[in-house]
Amino acid sequence: MKVIIVGCGRVGARLARQLDAEGHTVAVVDQQVSAFDRLGREFRGNMVVGNCIDEAVLRRAGIEGADCFVSVTSGDNRNLMAAQIAQRIFKVKRVITRLYDPIRESVFREMGLETFCPTTLGADLIREYFLDGVNRGRNASGVDGTVVRAS
Amino acid sequence: MSGPTDPPYVIIVGGGKVGFHLAKHLIERDYEITLVEKDAARAEWIEHQLGTVSIMVGDGDEMAFLATTGIERASVVIGTTGDDEDNLIVCQLAKIKFNVPRTIARVSNPHNVAVFKALGVDAPVSATELLMGLIEAELGSELVRGVAVKASGTCLVDLALPALSGYVGKRIGEITLPKGGIIVCIVRAGKPVVPAPETVVEAGDELVVFSQLLDIAAVGEALSKS
Repeated sequence: MKVIIVGCGRVGARLARQLDAEGHTVAVVDQQVSAFDRLGREFRGNMVVGNCIDEAVLRRAGIEGADCFVSVTSGDNRNLMAAQIAQRIFKVKRVITRLYDPIRESVFREMGLETFCPTTLGADLIREYFLDGVNRGRNASGVDGTVVRAS
Repeated sequence: MSGPTDPPYVIIVGGGKVGFHLAKHLIERDYEITLVEKDAARAEWIEHQLGTVSIMVGDGDEMAFLATTGIERASVVIGTTGDDEDNLIVCQLAKIKFNVPRTIARVSNPHNVAVFKALGVDAPVSATELLMGLIEAELGSELVRGVAVKASGTCLVDLALPALSGYVGKRIGEITLPKGGIIVCIVRAGKPVVPAPETVVEAGDELVVFSQLLDIAAVGEALSKS
């Protein structure tokens, strides 16, 4: 699979390294050259310095012919704009977007974007850890890693 | 008749230089304005300057906040922040969630004009592109007498027809301007002449041409060729 990831922060870089190690063709876009340090030496994918909401930059990253597009920059609106360019203009089949704002997430999910929201995922997960502890009584000293993904 | 219509209600998101001056200008023209600005200190300053303006401190791209601005009765929502992505999302939310009839967005990167249109913004306005076009028109041709620019990036330009132009003596019906430029009026000796296919253009005529702003230079060049 040919994957474009915009935003080389912790999530973007980790995903890029994993997919690259699994043999996928990966291109990462970020405005800061230093962000690519997170990819480590083994990363064999393409690194593109530039603004992810600029069509020319996305073309350089090889968006034409990409199978999947992931936007995980730190800005919700930036992610939304990049994702819509990928989906509506370049017709990328799978477009996955991170949005921190749950309301905006629901609006754009209704519009047909594939979105995930770390805010609700995180809160739900913490709540589940917490309830798990409560259910097991006072002697439950902490998280034991048995909690599966909150949904 | 229900009397004179209410002034259009316009919401401007982004209280930077563009948003501030636009609000000021529209208030003078009796529009009803709400200006949305994220930064409380900046908002206070604007309020101090404009007095009567309704200014709200908040996130223009936050749904819950937008709902408090009376957005559902707005005729126009304008995104004037310095960030293209923020202006796009404001306009999309206004359009999709609140059925605002017209959305206008300031666009910083000229490449994004087409993107904004494709993503449903009614009128993306690129200051960079307008400025480029105007400067290029001035550079490219001494024939330019005046330019009236429309938000869509098109314009009406007054071009003097030089005596040596290859177009002199031709009928309107025979003239094809480059890049789809259209002669909408001829100003002859200070008087407007409506161009018909058989109207012959004369040296000294001023042609009012409808064109893409960025194509003015090409049109001017064609007119000056002998």
